[in-house]
Amino acid sequence: MTEAPARPTGTAPRLVGTSVPRKEDLALLTGTARFVDDLRLPGMVHARILRSDVAHARVRSIDTAPALEVPGVLDALAGAELVGKVKPWGDLMQDLLVGDHFPFATDKVLYQGQELAAVVAETRYQAWDGCEAVRVDLEELPALVDPEAALAPDAPLIQEQIVYEFGEGNVFDRYKIRVGDFAAAEADAAVVVRQRFATNKQAGAALDPHGCVADYDSFTGVLTLYSSTQSIYMVRDVLADVLQIPRTKIRVIVPAVGAGFGSKAQIFGHEVIAALFSMRLGRPVKLTLSRADVFRAGTTRNAQVRYAELAMAADGEIIGYRDYIVHNTGAMSVWGNQVVHIGTNVGMLPYAIPNIHVDSDIVHTTTAPGGPLRGFGIPQTIWAKEQLVDMAARELGLDPLAVRERNVIDPDEFPFRTPMGHVIDSTSIKQCLLASADAIGWDTPRAPYEGKGLAVSMKYTSARHPSLDTDLSAVRLRLETDGTVTIYSSDVSHGQSHATMLAQIVADGIGVGIEKITLAPPDSMTAPFGLGTYASRGAAVLGTACRLATERLRDKILAIAAHVLEVGPEDLDTGRDRVFVKGLPDSGIYLEIIAATAAYRTHQLPPGFEPTLETVATYDTPTEREGSDGSGNLSVTYSGAAHAAHVRVDPDTGRVTVVDYAMVHDTGTVINPLVVEGQHHGGFAMGLGMALSEDYVYDAQGRQLNASFKDYLAVTAPDVPELTKTAEIPAPSTMIPGGQKGAGESGTGPVPAAIGNAVFDATGIRFTVLPITPQRMLVALREKERQGVETLRYPDDMPDFTGPRWHADWPSPVSVGDLDLDFDWEDDD
Amino acid sequence: MRPFTWLAPDTTAEAVALLREHGTGARVIAGGQSLLLAMKERTAGPSHLVSLAGITGLAGATTEPDGALVVGAATTYAALTRAALPGWHGVLSDVAGDLADRPVRNRGTIGGALCAADPRFDVPALAVGVDAVLRISGAAGDRTLPAAEFLRGNGITAIGQDEILTAVVLPPLPTWDAVVFEKFRHRVFDAAIVSATCALRRGAGGTPAAVRVTVAGATATPVVLDVDAAATGADTGDVAAASFHPDATDEPTRYRRELVRTLVRRSVDRAHSQQGSA
Repeated sequence: MTEAPARPTGTAPRLVGTSVPRKEDLALLTGTARFVDDLRLPGMVHARILRSDVAHARVRSIDTAPALEVPGVLDALAGAELVGKVKPWGDLMQDLLVGDHFPFATDKVLYQGQELAAVVAETRYQAWDGCEAVRVDLEELPALVDPEAALAPDAPLIQEQIVYEFGEGNVFDRYKIRVGDFAAAEADAAVVVRQRFATNKQAGAALDPHGCVADYDSFTGVLTLYSSTQSIYMVRDVLADVLQIPRTKIRVIVPAVGAGFGSKAQIFGHEVIAALFSMRLGRPVKLTLSRADVFRAGTTRNAQVRYAELAMAADGEIIGYRDYIVHNTGAMSVWGNQVVHIGTNVGMLPYAIPNIHVDSDIVHTTTAPGGPLRGFGIPQTIWAKEQLVDMAARELGLDPLAVRERNVIDPDEFPFRTPMGHVIDSTSIKQCLLASADAIGWDTPRAPYEGKGLAVSMKYTSARHPSLDTDLSAVRLRLETDGTVTIYSSDVSHGQSHATMLAQIVADGIGVGIEKITLAPPDSMTAPFGLGTYASRGAAVLGTACRLATERLRDKILAIAAHVLEVGPEDLDTGRDRVFVKGLPDSGIYLEIIAATAAYRTHQLPPGFEPTLETVATYDTPTEREGSDGSGNLSVTYSGAAHAAHVRVDPDTGRVTVVDYAMVHDTGTVINPLVVEGQHHGGFAMGLGMALSEDYVYDAQGRQLNASFKDYLAVTAPDVPELTKTAEIPAPSTMIPGGQKGAGESGTGPVPAAIGNAVFDATGIRFTVLPITPQRMLVALREKERQGVETLRYPDDMPDFTGPRWHADWPSPVSVGDLDLDFDWEDDD
Repeated sequence: MRPFTWLAPDTTAEAVALLREHGTGARVIAGGQSLLLAMKERTAGPSHLVSLAGITGLAGATTEPDGALVVGAATTYAALTRAALPGWHGVLSDVAGDLADRPVRNRGTIGGALCAADPRFDVPALAVGVDAVLRISGAAGDRTLPAAEFLRGNGITAIGQDEILTAVVLPPLPTWDAVVFEKFRHRVFDAAIVSATCALRRGAGGTPAAVRVTVAGATATPVVLDVDAAATGADTGDVAAASFHPDATDEPTRYRRELVRTLVRRSVDRAHSQQGSA
């Protein structure tokens, strides 16, 4: 008989703060991770959606009967037969009285890609045959691609059936900020810079397409939905509401998800359609979207037109900001109007601007639905505001770095409340700014056609959404009877490394080896209620819930050990799978003994101890609701990001190459530096695409011309520079018990502005639209030469520009006057 | 994809007979890197696919007695990349190794690229640029066509429904002393927005005697420009740009015009600076 090797003893090193290799990587690197399209259930059949190829049309008729004659076809659905049977959705997030989303177009088609009908068949090809047999009669209407054209009084009305509380016509919602007195700031300022900026419609472009498998059990009446989503409970609760069945009859399970970036943070029509088919047939139904469908019917970054103004004092102090934002939220959008709220409120940082006046018209166009996308409106705001900062600095003859250094939040005391209402619990943004500028050699001379640019932001760490008064996550932990630990969470990990990050917290908290900790797949039948994974909330909000559950579990473990060892729990410590008396790390009781005692030898437990070692904790951030003036502390803590770009422009091809890029971040206490660095690099790549290449290209009829990875210019590895200058200057959050701040979106927000400022430095051309493509760059360079000017705005100074060139010609908000929306009747006379 | 019948002939003659037998529903498939994508999207739905994979002699490169390089139409980009071709013939390897991505290069063929006749593809541009000749087999016999006459429009060629492109013939090495291919694309695997090929022959004393400049990507088929052999790259670029939609003011056309100028200039300058052929 051989002797088993002795288990290690002694104290274990802390894992939080170290680059523990990701638990997720083995499955991903060996190709064994199972995504939703990998699922094969017994008896499974395949559905396909017939989508509109026209953007705007009246539905004359949709006849699915011919599809039922096609071999293999089992069932078909269209909108008319569902009216009155399934409930529209979209009201919850939008504060609408009734939902504006439905599985299929009924009376009108509002965008290319909208669902017209669906067919389910034995094979996916038969389902496609069935879709081709559906007879569709549409009366095409004029498309509205341009959000400003949609505001015109005579513009065709897109949404005809929805009554809006705060909008009318194609204005679906309004937003405003009234902080301080911008007019006074304008009068006091040494300079007011004004510029119209437009941003692009960027795709999420997650490699794993949207898709689901719906599996209805006719005996139990339980509908199981496997879906590639970011939020199981939002999908479950909305689906239950749509189908008008109890929440207990829907179980949402999430397999591996190949990213979402915000584009999977809601329920989609295909999930409802697959559920309906499965309930009608009693068979599992798979419905995976094609890439073109993901482009056309998934959600995109909201494109904006911003009429932005920044007031600066002679010494460089930013004293005011005004903006009129035309926010294009597409034909319909579950989250679109929220994007302008949070993106603008939080986008005012990292400055404590005293006078802010913002209006926004949130408009419908006949384009793909807008929604959340990495940065949630922050990159759009930073694109305008950080270029205005450079423009004002240049007008005053000041160094853009010095101006930023003067303005970034650097209070003597924390917490610090900005006029906008943000409560800053800690920040190192000034040090981040200086370090990033230093890293690219801000003061060194530029070669011809090379330039350097800066941009800074502070970004929410999760948020209390104006229409959803909640910001919570939850974790349940169980110390299993063999000493392993299961973590249950409903917050889907779609790239955030929850299995690793949460395990690091648990390992440190109860002294269990990280290899013994497993994260259960998100499953609404077993996981505690949480909102999902978006808004950079994993480490801080879910991590805090995990920390609280771990502390509770530790207390229970120590109570048992103290009883057995006849010492006080305060005399005990944990590590290397054991509980031991402090100072005696080579002795102690193994966790599996304690766990087994708690489950199988309960008479040995302390008197009154509730058996088993299972704890749950929910953390809801101490954030505020948005005030009627737009102010408020919507986020529990704010991550800092200072970016410095060094670009080179090829004057012969127009290509902009990022030759050097420094990112210095304040992500608070970092749980796993490897994971956070990966988040920053990925976030940068997404920002680079927004800056230089990505956009939805529509023709005049509203058809997207680049709905494929061949034509849509997503950034790929060779386009990304060596990111060797990514650093952290942590200012741990004092609101979050572990000090964490959100990581996932810091890398994106400042990128377009930093590159835009660097491109101006290199060429004298101020780009006011995104993306800065080689085509735009080269044509602008030639136009600048032709005009013989030092600086040129693209496209504002191009001969064929038809928009308003100067402030005097700017449009005003489509105002309905200052409504009294404060229903505090006692104050009213 | 829709159902189809897969046919795998052993000889070119057999393949031609199958094409004739099955009519317009039959399509030739080599690497499938254009056709399969169209079939997957159901934008193409052939009833029969006639595969060239089993026909001997359609892949690989051989040198004719006169020095011409005969490249089988079913030769993959990857095989061309690995081929050790002498002198300016080596440009074909360079071009084949720097387009699309590795999976496409492993399956895609130069004959497929020519028959797809996509204006943004590199091989048709280069074939016209060096004045290559294409060999075609059909029921009526074999024929040859200069590449410039083979390409008729965007996606349109001179090949008949029952004909097969069998080889691309590059002229003998002495035809040119230097051949340079330049292109601009967004991402490394994207098709070219504009490309320029400069083929240069020197006369006595090493001065350029003939320069053939071909621009592709911006027009439906490659355009061979009439240029002065002695002109500099910059001047040739200006001439090329001036001939490209001189009256158009829309941004995409202006941009392509500027790229024509840049790429022609670069290709001519590089050709001038290269040493003569081996």
